[in-house]
Amino acid sequence: MKRFLSILAVVMLLVTFTVGASAEAVNMKIATWTSNEDQLKLLGSFVDEFAAQKGIEINYTFESIAFAEYNTKLLLELQGKDAPDLYWVLETSAPAFIASGNLAKLNDALAAYNPDDISAAALQLWKGGEDVYAVPFSTSPFVLLYNVDLFKQAGAKTPDELIAEGNWTWEAFREVSKQIKDATGVWGYETVDGDGYNSRVLHNLLPIIRSMGGDAWDENYEVKIDSAESVAAVQLFHDMLYKDGSVVPPGDESSFYTGAAAMTCSQISRVSNLDGVEWEWAMCTLPGNVPVIGQAALGAFSKGPNAELAAELVAYMTSEPCAARIAGIWPPCRFSVLESEAFLTSNARIKPEQMASAVAASIGTGRVLPSHQLYPQIEVEAKIAYDKLWNADADVAAIMQEVAKVYRTYLQ
Amino acid sequence: MNNSLAARRLRRREALTGYAFVMPQLIGFTIFVLIPLVNVFIYSFHNKNMLFGTNIFIGFDNYTKLFTNDSLFWMTLKNTFVFSVLLVPLNLILALLLALYLGDGGFGTRFTRTVIFLPVVTSGVAWAIVWKYLLQSGTAGPVNYFLSLAGIPGPNWLTDKGWAMVSVVINRVLKNLGTNVLIFYGAVMNMPQDVIEAARIDGADSFTLLRRIKLPLLMPTILMVSIVTMIGSMRVFDTIRLMTDGGPEGSTMVLVYYIYHQAFKMFNTGYASAIAVVLFVIVLILTIIQWALRKKVSHYES
Repeated sequence: MKRFLSILAVVMLLVTFTVGASAEAVNMKIATWTSNEDQLKLLGSFVDEFAAQKGIEINYTFESIAFAEYNTKLLLELQGKDAPDLYWVLETSAPAFIASGNLAKLNDALAAYNPDDISAAALQLWKGGEDVYAVPFSTSPFVLLYNVDLFKQAGAKTPDELIAEGNWTWEAFREVSKQIKDATGVWGYETVDGDGYNSRVLHNLLPIIRSMGGDAWDENYEVKIDSAESVAAVQLFHDMLYKDGSVVPPGDESSFYTGAAAMTCSQISRVSNLDGVEWEWAMCTLPGNVPVIGQAALGAFSKGPNAELAAELVAYMTSEPCAARIAGIWPPCRFSVLESEAFLTSNARIKPEQMASAVAASIGTGRVLPSHQLYPQIEVEAKIAYDKLWNADADVAAIMQEVAKVYRTYLQ
Repeated sequence: MNNSLAARRLRRREALTGYAFVMPQLIGFTIFVLIPLVNVFIYSFHNKNMLFGTNIFIGFDNYTKLFTNDSLFWMTLKNTFVFSVLLVPLNLILALLLALYLGDGGFGTRFTRTVIFLPVVTSGVAWAIVWKYLLQSGTAGPVNYFLSLAGIPGPNWLTDKGWAMVSVVINRVLKNLGTNVLIFYGAVMNMPQDVIEAARIDGADSFTLLRRIKLPLLMPTILMVSIVTMIGSMRVFDTIRLMTDGGPEGSTMVLVYYIYHQAFKMFNTGYASAIAVVLFVIVLILTIIQWALRKKVSHYES
């Protein structure tokens, strides 16, 4: 009898426990464009910690959407019944997503943040007036990766040597690129992911344009792409491509990561592509040292059933301790993390001094890629004009005026 | 009385059985074709934006903008016609010649039949990606490499404005040729042999035989295939998306690709629907014209 009673007690306890727990369990769906198991596990552990802290149970699922289809699929889901509660937002979509009302205001959830810890410039894009709509979890500067072996083979000064001399300019970059092509027959430079003539045309040109004093457009949406400085910068790249023949040209799929080009522009999340290569590589700042930054942020769906809790979860997942733990993959915009020793060793593939000079220092001074509420429209129409650049006899100044005309149509 | 009641009951049961048989198809058609189609028409009169959640009735504004204030629309419309005008005749002539050759059953026909049909069963995505690799610029691509061995400098197939459309068309023809060859082959094999034999006895040479006997006999098939091929060419998407992304300079941006951009990149669902309706009307008109022609040129239709 005693035994029976104790079993009964245990069963009842279990029943109340599970019923109680399931009554409180909250479902949370998080949309990302990464499908990397380790990265998702790390993000999942943040949700578990948050749940434990709140004393609730959260059943979370990650939904990985392919990068190229991300906005399309995400928006279709936001219309439906099974919308994600939290989702990643890309920098170029930020103004449109904020204006659309699909992002919850995070002001209350972020009240506990130390405002001095976050770079104001990095947060700028994610604010509408005084309200914050998403928090960047990745503020990743574009850096230069180069093949040290090919530089040695060509007898060229490496970018790091040129930096030490104080001569790391785009003109010097053009010279070494040609030197390598002439000496080894291997391409000197490959554009960002080989996509610099298509969807990443601005990622490719903007570092040159900005370091020569130009821009696509400024904070007041004044178009600068046809300014003398911008045109000179694009001309420099055009000359590298057609006069020197040192850049992997459009339609050619030669890749830096397979050793078919000596340099490329990239971000630290791509460094894992270099695992197992048999040549020595190094990382440094892009020439001119006017860093351009690519950003991604985490936001909460404003119309979700648990929008308030989702906002708190966003705050937790982008808090200092969490930011520190993902910093090796996605560099944060938090000074406390960037200035820590731990950050410099956070990515096993990258040397601490490279992390300090090429990444940490650039995040403080870098500027994010341009964006606008109508960016998708601008992108499609501008591409038609940009395409005209990729001919040997292209009139760069005239084409940049055409691009500027498209920009002005939408920005003013 | 009793008899007629039984007959009526039987008829009703037969009718019900018939409906039950077509029901799965009918339900599928209604849910996945008819309702979306009607919705597209309705959306085209709205300022509907998926991102901002707007949905305002604006009458014909989308159409007005489309025809008076959208240079991209006219460019893509022109590209679509160029694509079809290049693709349809090339496809039909090649397919017909191959079918006639296969119909002869001469040397190497079985092997040729297999080779021609192979691309049809290949995944379109894999096909496009492999071709993008083969058609690389300079001498990086195998196609240009072999041309350079023969002393011919190959063009930048996919990044030169003058070549991109031609490359995409040829690619598309190679990919889908097999289907049309198969249809024509069927028709060639079904040609009444007595008519052909009679013509031969009357002294018709091969060319006269082809022009006076075979082609007229094949006319219904040719017209049917031309309609299907033309409609297919108006809907080309995957090849463009993967090989040129609409470039260079928008030279391969066709209507369907523009609809995709408007709907899923810019989220202008209403405006994209208006373009889709225009495409629908164009295809409808062309089909009606071909259908009318069919009555005039083909005398041998049963």
